Amino acid sequence: MSGGPNLPSAQIAGNPPVGEHGALSCGKALKFSPEARKRVDHLLTRYPTKQAALLPTLWEAQREWGWISREAVDHVAEVLELAPAFVWGVVTFYTMYNRAPVGKHLIQFCTSISCHLADAEGVYAECRKRLGDLKPGETSKDGKFTVIEVECLAQCDKAPAVMVNDDDYAVITKDNLDSFLGGLK
Amino acid sequence: MSKTAKVTVDGRSVDVPDNSNALEACRAAGVEVPHFCYHPGLSIVGQCRMCMVEIEGMPKIAASCTVPIRDGMVIKTDTEKAHAARNSTMEFLLINHPLDCPICDQAGECKLQDNAVTGGLPVSRTSEARRQYPGYERTDIGKHVIADMTRCIQCTRCIRFCEEITETGELSFIERGGHTIVWTHEGRALDNELSGCAADVCPVGALTTKEFRFRKRAWWLDKTRSVCTGCEVGCNIAVEHKDRVVHRFIPRVNADVNDFWICDFGRFRSEELNEQELFRPVVRGKETSWGDAQDAIKAAVDAAQKDVLVLGSAKLSTETNWLAAQLFGKHLGANVEFVVDRGDRHRVKNKKADGNVAGWLEGYEAAPNSRGAEAAGVTRGGDTGALAAVLTGTLLPKVIIVLDAAFSAKAEDPAVIAALRKAGTLIVCSRRRSALAAAADVLLPVGGVHNDEGTFVNVQGRVQRFDCAYIPPPIVRTQLEILTHLGKKWGLFDTRWTARSVFEEMRATVPGYAGLDWDSPALVGSAPSASPAAPHDVLEAPAKGGLGLPALQEVGS
Repeated sequence: MSGGPNLPSAQIAGNPPVGEHGALSCGKALKFSPEARKRVDHLLTRYPTKQAALLPTLWEAQREWGWISREAVDHVAEVLELAPAFVWGVVTFYTMYNRAPVGKHLIQFCTSISCHLADAEGVYAECRKRLGDLKPGETSKDGKFTVIEVECLAQCDKAPAVMVNDDDYAVITKDNLDSFLGGLK
Repeated sequence: MSKTAKVTVDGRSVDVPDNSNALEACRAAGVEVPHFCYHPGLSIVGQCRMCMVEIEGMPKIAASCTVPIRDGMVIKTDTEKAHAARNSTMEFLLINHPLDCPICDQAGECKLQDNAVTGGLPVSRTSEARRQYPGYERTDIGKHVIADMTRCIQCTRCIRFCEEITETGELSFIERGGHTIVWTHEGRALDNELSGCAADVCPVGALTTKEFRFRKRAWWLDKTRSVCTGCEVGCNIAVEHKDRVVHRFIPRVNADVNDFWICDFGRFRSEELNEQELFRPVVRGKETSWGDAQDAIKAAVDAAQKDVLVLGSAKLSTETNWLAAQLFGKHLGANVEFVVDRGDRHRVKNKKADGNVAGWLEGYEAAPNSRGAEAAGVTRGGDTGALAAVLTGTLLPKVIIVLDAAFSAKAEDPAVIAALRKAGTLIVCSRRRSALAAAADVLLPVGGVHNDEGTFVNVQGRVQRFDCAYIPPPIVRTQLEILTHLGKKWGLFDTRWTARSVFEEMRATVPGYAGLDWDSPALVGSAPSASPAAPHDVLEAPAKGGLGLPALQEVGS
């Protein structure tokens, strides 16, 4: 995925690619559904300029399509009358916009200090192992789970903390991992 | 100019417009504060943190470009604190810069190089591997521009250029922090009509133009003031050449015409100037001398009485057109006419341009000087002109003289050539082999616009001078020389005349030229800047002097 528009990426040994820079294509042109468009239009009434509504509009796009594809960027740019490059720059600035398709449940393990002390890394690794030896950020074969590591979820008192999509889950350990995963349908 | 304010820079007092910032005040005082992100044609962002200065009354050092001046402000650029801050900025920038100057095209006109020489530490304190950008090195990002992110210092000049000047916004910061790159959106190219200027504004070698890449070291280039001939806007350019080869065009600052920019169409026409294909006069298929060719022309024109059509050209200087009008029109009573192609729209952004679309100065004619040719007394030919009559067959002059074989796109049309060929004698001045040149009875080799000096009148009616980069190759002459020599045959002109003397001869009688001075700044324009990334922001000579001499001495000691 990394690489300029015209050159295949040339990996240099010892240098990891610098993030995933280019927007992936979803293969078809996208357009907000009438309901989503209505929400976006409402958003626009709440901001002084169209550009100011970019972040919430991208949230709408992510809600609509699950992730931000090249075509989603193009559509958002068109709706807000911005340059697509600018929109993509904003998408890449933030970590919570998905730049590739994710599973139905995006399981986000906090590994910041409190959770780290409560063995969050161990639970994170165990969780990926149980879902089919997933690599960090990988999606399970049935398309249901994507497991990633995130920074502090502000639930230090309930470490290790986990967030699935928009919902918080507290004290997820290796012992209750099965029941936690079983609860995700 | 609005109100001014008095500012003291390093002990020198200077009056500057009260909407200036501290960096501009320093430039006005002749002190060039090192900077990367500041560009006089773009908005202020304070991105690079290089232009740090001390300002009396302010507790901390400040990025001078972000500080609006006020009356009585005292700016100190040469203090220990300011040097320390700028040196730190340089050190941060150089942590990840590849320092590949030996293979970088920007070397010699690079602000990072300049600022490293005039300030900063003499040695690097880091030994870690430098940041790499696999897949984002030496990559095409548009028709004319190649990007190399390893060299980028994130000054955002190119991003601001695409947002503010072309209003297309192809470039943006992607990612953040240490991973930041400047790139286009996936699948979209840096493709706008001024895209070459994005490479111009880049202070380092991150954006370079394909056309100039690896052609010539910047410090070898000779820079000659000229005017773009692509359209009637008449952007001021510097023809940059070495050893009789033109390598590139770089815009010269002219606040009234092209500001800091030129369009890609004009910029990348530079290679045409290297296409000299004809070197000797030819009379009826036989190479000959200028003397014989001139005799042949005089004989033909005299024999034709007044039945002569002379095609001047809007691509030639007013001086050349004036000579043609004087000799053939006034003295010999012939038809002297020019035609001009109405072509594609070319335009350049000018903040103050009036008329047309706000901010854009537009040109539709495919020649730089139709107004000058007309002022010189050459008739503007149209649907009812003499050339049109020749093409329809209603007029059949005995002699046709084409002063510029590339006078119009029509010159390549076989039907037009056939119509012109019907004349008893067809005389053509040309640089290149073409069907029209091949059809001529008398073919005269001429140089290009860079081989002569003269003036053009642009779309605003502004008279602008262009200079001679280098004289034509041996034997080849310019149209102006040909006309002065021909004029001598009829006892009219002096062969020692140059464009300047013709200018002085004609200015009293040519509309718009009265009272003009060949050497006046209004005609000459600004001097070519040392680097396209460092344009002058005033018409006068660039700010002299630099900073950071202590660091230089440190290197030597």
